[in-house]
Amino acid sequence: MLTTISRRSLMIAAFGIAAAAAPAMAQDWPSAPLHVYVGFPAGSSPDTIARLIAEPLAESLGQPVVIENKPGAGGVIGVQQMLAQKPDGYSFGVTINGPLTTAQRLIPDLGYDPATDVAPITLIATSPLVLAVAADFPADDVDAFVADAKARPDEISYGSVGKGSGAHLTAELFASDAGIVLFHIPFQSYAEVTTSILSGEIDSGFMAPSAAVPHVEAGTMKMLGITSSEVFPLVPDVPVLAGKAGLPDDFRAELWNAFIAPAGTDPAIIARLNTEIDAILENEDLQGKLLAMGWKTAGGTPEDLAARIETDTALWGAVIDKTEAQN
Amino acid sequence: MQRDYLDILWGGLLAAFGLVVAGYAALHYDIGSLRRMGPGFFPVSLGVILAILGGFIAVPAYWRKGDRRPFAWREMLGIVAALLLFAVLMNRIGLVATTAICALVASSVAPGKGIAWRLILALAVTLLTWAIFILALKMTIPVWPWSR
Amino acid sequence: MTTIEGLAHGLSVALQPSILIYSLFGALLGTFVGVLPGIGAMAAITLLLPITYYISSEAALVMLAGVYYGAQYGGAVASILLRLPGTPQSAVTTLDGYPLAQQGRAGVALFTSMISSFTGSMLGIVVLVVLAGWLAGMATLFGAAEYAAMMIMGLVAASTIGSERPAKNFAMVVVGLILGCVGTDVNSGAQRLTFGQPVLMDGINMVALAMGLFGVAEVITNIPIAERRGPPARVSLRQLVPTRNDIRRMTAAIPRGAALGGFFGALPGTGSTISSFLAYALERRISRTPERFGKGAIEGIAGPEAANNSASITAFVPTLTLGIPGDPIMALMLGALVIHGVQPGPMMLQSRPDMFWGLVASFGIGNIFLLLINLTLIGVWVSILRIPFRWLYPAIIVFVCLGVYSVRGATFDIAMVAGIGAIGYALTLASFSPALLLLGFVLGPLIETNLRRALLISRGDAMVFLERPIACGFVVATAALILLPLVKSLIRSRAPDKSRAD
Repeated sequence: MLTTISRRSLMIAAFGIAAAAAPAMAQDWPSAPLHVYVGFPAGSSPDTIARLIAEPLAESLGQPVVIENKPGAGGVIGVQQMLAQKPDGYSFGVTINGPLTTAQRLIPDLGYDPATDVAPITLIATSPLVLAVAADFPADDVDAFVADAKARPDEISYGSVGKGSGAHLTAELFASDAGIVLFHIPFQSYAEVTTSILSGEIDSGFMAPSAAVPHVEAGTMKMLGITSSEVFPLVPDVPVLAGKAGLPDDFRAELWNAFIAPAGTDPAIIARLNTEIDAILENEDLQGKLLAMGWKTAGGTPEDLAARIETDTALWGAVIDKTEAQN
Repeated sequence: MQRDYLDILWGGLLAAFGLVVAGYAALHYDIGSLRRMGPGFFPVSLGVILAILGGFIAVPAYWRKGDRRPFAWREMLGIVAALLLFAVLMNRIGLVATTAICALVASSVAPGKGIAWRLILALAVTLLTWAIFILALKMTIPVWPWSR
Repeated sequence: MTTIEGLAHGLSVALQPSILIYSLFGALLGTFVGVLPGIGAMAAITLLLPITYYISSEAALVMLAGVYYGAQYGGAVASILLRLPGTPQSAVTTLDGYPLAQQGRAGVALFTSMISSFTGSMLGIVVLVVLAGWLAGMATLFGAAEYAAMMIMGLVAASTIGSERPAKNFAMVVVGLILGCVGTDVNSGAQRLTFGQPVLMDGINMVALAMGLFGVAEVITNIPIAERRGPPARVSLRQLVPTRNDIRRMTAAIPRGAALGGFFGALPGTGSTISSFLAYALERRISRTPERFGKGAIEGIAGPEAANNSASITAFVPTLTLGIPGDPIMALMLGALVIHGVQPGPMMLQSRPDMFWGLVASFGIGNIFLLLINLTLIGVWVSILRIPFRWLYPAIIVFVCLGVYSVRGATFDIAMVAGIGAIGYALTLASFSPALLLLGFVLGPLIETNLRRALLISRGDAMVFLERPIACGFVVATAALILLPLVKSLIRSRAPDKSRAD
């Protein structure tokens, strides 16, 4: 892909000054450019997040950080490409949750096991989804929505960005926790879901807050609730779903982005990167940019990320079991 | 008697392709119903339609005169080989060496004798490629066998 | 703010030297990458993304828009001169542009395409300014049933553009539809015809398909014959200028194409592909000499080029007024806006009129730049054809490889080009139309998902296609397109009987 982070990386790449990376020694690491594999095209939100991190990271490490876009299969190709590299301390990845939590259930020939093949580094940012409906939808809050859905099961429809997508699984988790049945209509993008809600073709959808906000401001859409465990700064007026309408108090469904490495990468390098990236995430300017895109910076230890992968794998695995049983 | 052998061949090939697709899809994917179509509905129907269309192409061609066109086997194989080499080599030995090899293989099927002009051409193509894609467009691909 | 005030304000934004520079830079870069086979606006915009984080949002958007349009102008050059289209839209341009170039009239073909693109864009801007609000409403009037019906109509209307034999044309469309099935089925999530390859989960790479079917096939065809034909004679300036006859044909085709493009462009997703095919089919259908099409008809370039440029202007309507990107490039531009804290959406015209009108004005200015750049360069482009083919084609092959690779960084796609190229060559030899295959490939998945989605939403009631007025209109039009020729031929065959009976 046509991407570089700094002019220097180009010169280095072009003139071959950077010889093949020697076996990683934590002391003189890094001595060559870092490559970060992103499973989405340039300009997508995972890519933008990776770039916003890569630039200050290159500065603090003193080596260029090259973004390699390997889009496809919901981010899985990016993780596969990263795992195809040696765990030499120069190959990393930025990925969304799907390839680490649900992919092994949804893709038959995944070719890797997130638990053993991937070394977590840090959680970069999380994004909740909002339950959005058209402005003229009868329910004004989630209690009314659930009551309505109980009165006419399998009639209220919702759009998602495809079977097994975060939007689909979140809606199914919500429905099963609230004891209702919603009618699933898969789409390809949030743009299509939005248009379809606005035109009244479908009733609702779980979508990124940043995508819903403009339509809420224009008075054509309402947000009934948000899937994070606390109020989200981008949409402070939207109540959290947890604890409402029969949902458990620990109800939480978030998308996230994480910085990862192939398993076998030197633990000293992982620790160093974890510290560097966590420091970068403290930057307020960066936090503001991410928030505008609907992402809240996270951080934490590699163990925190490993735990998050484990809980989310179990959470979504149960939802997938349930939806598969229904069909 | 002259027949349009090209159309007979292609009609047959397309019909066979259609049947293979329809058969494979019918075996592997749920067809569903007209009201609630499964993932197999489209591939199966399209395969059957293609098989019928293949018949419509092949059968009338049996009684029709076709023009004979030379098939450029040598040129086709040369170009296909060049493309495949590029696909296989690029991430292994870098852009520069791959481009030179690919250009050389591609030009090997060009009319004209001699090796000197082909080497010069390969060098020129390599320089041009490097200038456009690495220098100007900054593509992140390995340039040399030892870079990554 | 009224429209006039808005435009005046927009011009004052767009004419700032700092904005103008970015517009010019974007236009130049876009033209450059557009000319390279397979490398499209996407690759160039990717290259520019890091820069857009640092410049003002107006400058960023203006630059990206310049690249977007520039790539279209440039794409036409590669299609006309070397039959190397990177998009389905430019595949339509090859149909008559490439034959013209082979007849030694490459200059005229290029001139026609530039003028049509420019005029199409300008008319598109007029549509954007006058009808933005109305068009924005239209996007929400179109549901799954409407899209499915509209695209089936497009497919049927365009199926006439290939060879003389309808069976061959339909077969190509169906092959395209089948290839379009490869990948993840949206409705069920099933992996179809991927044979366990994750790289195929998102389907066959469209650029690989276009490059193989057209470019590689043409290179194979040309190697043995090009040298015998020899390079075209040196082109004098006079040969660049179209004849009065050419201009007459153009002036009628351009507004028709622009109107089609202006309408379809505002629908997210398919606008410019469907409108360029429809424009071509329309020109051929209403022409008194349809047999000239495919052999170098000026209208065959003018109509589709006007249509796709007009469509790519009105494609900004859903992007800016609803915040709904029509294609991946629009999505990229939206991303660039969001990074600057500008949230496109229904309120944008009120909250950031400077942005909206500045963008509209800079579309106009960018297209003027592009016209000037490209008219100057016609001589240079035409001289490419003077290079002996054996010196030219190895570079074409390498460029095709890198162009295809640039789409998603997969060497698998380059290997695909090899296979598709060989098949494409054999198909071309048997006078099948690769353009129809490409059309089926692009529209197939959209037709399938929308058709199935419409039936899902209506809970399996097929009457939805007749109950919804817009969908019904398209269904009736499709039926008419199929039945009219049948009725015509029936009347024609009955007529002699009657005269005999009398």
